[in-house]
Amino acid sequence: MQETDPTLIRAAAAGDLDAFEQIVRAHQQHVWRFLRRLLGDDAAAEDVAQETFLRAFRRLPTFTFQATFSTWLFQVARNAGIDELRARRRREHLADALRPAAAASASRGAGQAGEARVEIDAALAGLPVDLRETLLLVEVLGLRYAEAATVLGVPIGTVKSRMFAARAQLARWARADDGDDRGAGGRGDQGDDPATHGEAGREL
Amino acid sequence: MSCDDVQLAVSLRADGELPTGPATEALDEHLATCAVCRDFAGDVQRIRSQLRVEAVDHAPDLGPAVITRLRAPAGDATHPGRIALARERRVRAGRRRPTVAAAIALVAGAAAGGTFVGIGTEPPSPAAADVPDLVMDAQHDVTTLESRLRITEAGATGAGGAAEQAGEARTFAADLSYRAPESLALHIRETTPGRPDAERDAGDLVVDGDTWWQRRSRRCRPAAGLVRCPDDAVTWVRSVTGREPFSSAAPTPLDLVIPVGSFTLAAEPAALGTTTVAGHRTVGVAVTAAQVSPLIEGLSSALDLRPVHPTDEVELWLDDRHLVPLALVVRAADSAERQHWARSVGAIESAGDTILTVTTTTARVNEGVGPGAFEPPPGEPSSSLDAGFRDVPAGDAALAAAPVPAKLPDDFRAHRSGTVVTPGGPTVAVRSWSDGRAWLTVRATAGWPGGRLFGELGPDVRPVDLGAAGTGYASDDARRLALHTADADLVVSGSVPADRLEAVAADLGIVGLTVPPSWDEAATAGLDEAARALPGLLVAATLDGFGPPSVRVDGAIVTQSHAGAGRRGLTITQRVAPALSPPSAGDEAGVTVRGTAGRYSRQRGELEWTEGDLAVSLRSDSLGLAELLAIADDLERR
Repeated sequence: MQETDPTLIRAAAAGDLDAFEQIVRAHQQHVWRFLRRLLGDDAAAEDVAQETFLRAFRRLPTFTFQATFSTWLFQVARNAGIDELRARRRREHLADALRPAAAASASRGAGQAGEARVEIDAALAGLPVDLRETLLLVEVLGLRYAEAATVLGVPIGTVKSRMFAARAQLARWARADDGDDRGAGGRGDQGDDPATHGEAGREL
Repeated sequence: MSCDDVQLAVSLRADGELPTGPATEALDEHLATCAVCRDFAGDVQRIRSQLRVEAVDHAPDLGPAVITRLRAPAGDATHPGRIALARERRVRAGRRRPTVAAAIALVAGAAAGGTFVGIGTEPPSPAAADVPDLVMDAQHDVTTLESRLRITEAGATGAGGAAEQAGEARTFAADLSYRAPESLALHIRETTPGRPDAERDAGDLVVDGDTWWQRRSRRCRPAAGLVRCPDDAVTWVRSVTGREPFSSAAPTPLDLVIPVGSFTLAAEPAALGTTTVAGHRTVGVAVTAAQVSPLIEGLSSALDLRPVHPTDEVELWLDDRHLVPLALVVRAADSAERQHWARSVGAIESAGDTILTVTTTTARVNEGVGPGAFEPPPGEPSSSLDAGFRDVPAGDAALAAAPVPAKLPDDFRAHRSGTVVTPGGPTVAVRSWSDGRAWLTVRATAGWPGGRLFGELGPDVRPVDLGAAGTGYASDDARRLALHTADADLVVSGSVPADRLEAVAADLGIVGLTVPPSWDEAATAGLDEAARALPGLLVAATLDGFGPPSVRVDGAIVTQSHAGAGRRGLTITQRVAPALSPPSAGDEAGVTVRGTAGRYSRQRGELEWTEGDLAVSLRSDSLGLAELLAIADDLERR
């Protein structure tokens, strides 16, 4: 990934919107791709990507050039993505709280029905969020472990072990899926869907 | 090499993070002979290609939307260049139903007997991060509010001796009327299904002009083993006449109208997105019960609702144009101290349980209020109090002690003015101004006996440099600013941001003096002075969501108090000591603070540790242990 011109960053930090637009164009594809995978939803990814750049603009004056700009920006994107996942969980909670009890389960089912998803997206959605975001930073954005560690605010060793755990989990599902009906729900192995969703939910 | 080691190495090598050397040879040898590990290596490549191949193309061009939103003034709903959010475009295109918004609107709209506005054609909501500023601005634009609320509480025994059946859910309907600047009526009626009318609780609060009424009717329901109630139902009416404008002694829960108190000094709240409540587009923020306590306690000013813990998680949904709170959901926080508290108040709930829900079924903003909205509640007051305020025209000599600021913030107009006499106290001149729900008062007296500052600023104050106007003292919540002069003592209060308050104080045409050495506030200091008194002093330099510290130097003890939004706040106390004093609460537990061994008492909400030659205490009645530890981590040596 090409590094951003510091003059451009300084100009944008001083409020130059034309300079900032150039920055947006240079980075939007990476940010969107990361968020799309993290959130599993194109439209939400676009909103959160917008939010990422709005936040980045507000915080630009605090950018110190200690990390590379893209690492800093991914940090903002990652936090915005995590906020969106939290918000999503809370929106579901609010809907539950406000919905007549009988309608709750029916309506929740309806929201997901009929959405065909590519296999890898479904598998990604089943990964706990910490594994998912680490995998995406390294695989989709091509970050070095050290950079991913900075974005996530964790030691390099954690990136190492999360990458391995994410791959092991995806590989296990891929194997379990061969000859198994995905729609049946259970995959007959420890990493099966409900358990993992529960785990991801708790982390948020 | 075991298969686990090999697969870890395969993962590292795929990312170019495996150092070359003997290990790679052993790795290849193993792969040559082990089918399981070869499969894993194949999976790693397959996952990679799936992730990378699918991640290309059709990334949207975000530049125009982002730049347009940055150019638009915050919250400007009429900006012509606005760009709809992708989510809204999707809804408009009919690709997916907005299930959450629809579910809420269904409940809200159906109860209101009306239809709701879909979110498809509206401009984008303000970002949650802007909510604190927008709330401060919106208070100028509200003139009236009429709304109907539905309240559901669950899982607690009632407070004040009226014990409920544990775990029973109760519902209430509430009617709120407001007319700027400080007329408000709140009527709450219990609607719990299956409960006879005679057993239902009711409460009323009416504030209008210089009178204030509270009426409660709460049936006493003794729990097993408790003494019987003297009467089946307890009804009382309290009234206050001679109420000062914007009195803090007979308070008006203005945060129910626009939650200014809940967002003064607030950090950027976490975003919850947008949804529709009672036909209004709302923006959602995640906050804590301590932060919105002016709102929750505002409801309780009419009828006691179940207690909530300061750290409980709150979702607050605000009208995205007027910033009127339209829905609020409180969920039990997940912490040991919260569980302990729940037991102590007899609440039965688990972490994450919804314990209080307030939703709006109808809300009309700036459309006027019905006749008789602020009629006093029925019944003869069982206690009444004259607070001593008498209206006096603004030009009257009796108000000479209270100067008029040379310049008021735009659009502020004179509201009530007068004098207040309390038995045994000095005569105080009061002037007030308002603009919508926003207000300012100047109170002054020539007869202050001294000893501490006039104006009930609380123990924690901060000297403020007012330039040519000398020195003022700000309360830690930044809502009051006191001035002491040779002839008079004054306090400026208001719902406006601290800098506005300071500007008004600086425009009074008087020069504030530092308080005499014998006054309590003489021990206040700046951080530099405190650091000289206590070398190595720890300070919270980067504390987000709290005001600057009020600092006291009492001999060799330095205290810094930070107030935050609503009831949030914390106090840091430091002194030279080789070790912590013996535990006093009896419930202290060991914790690791800033990498060292410390202790925490949940009863006192106090975290203690030693650092260098200082004993440090971080104490709060509104923040949980997790937040205290995070704040402790960010402390820096001055």
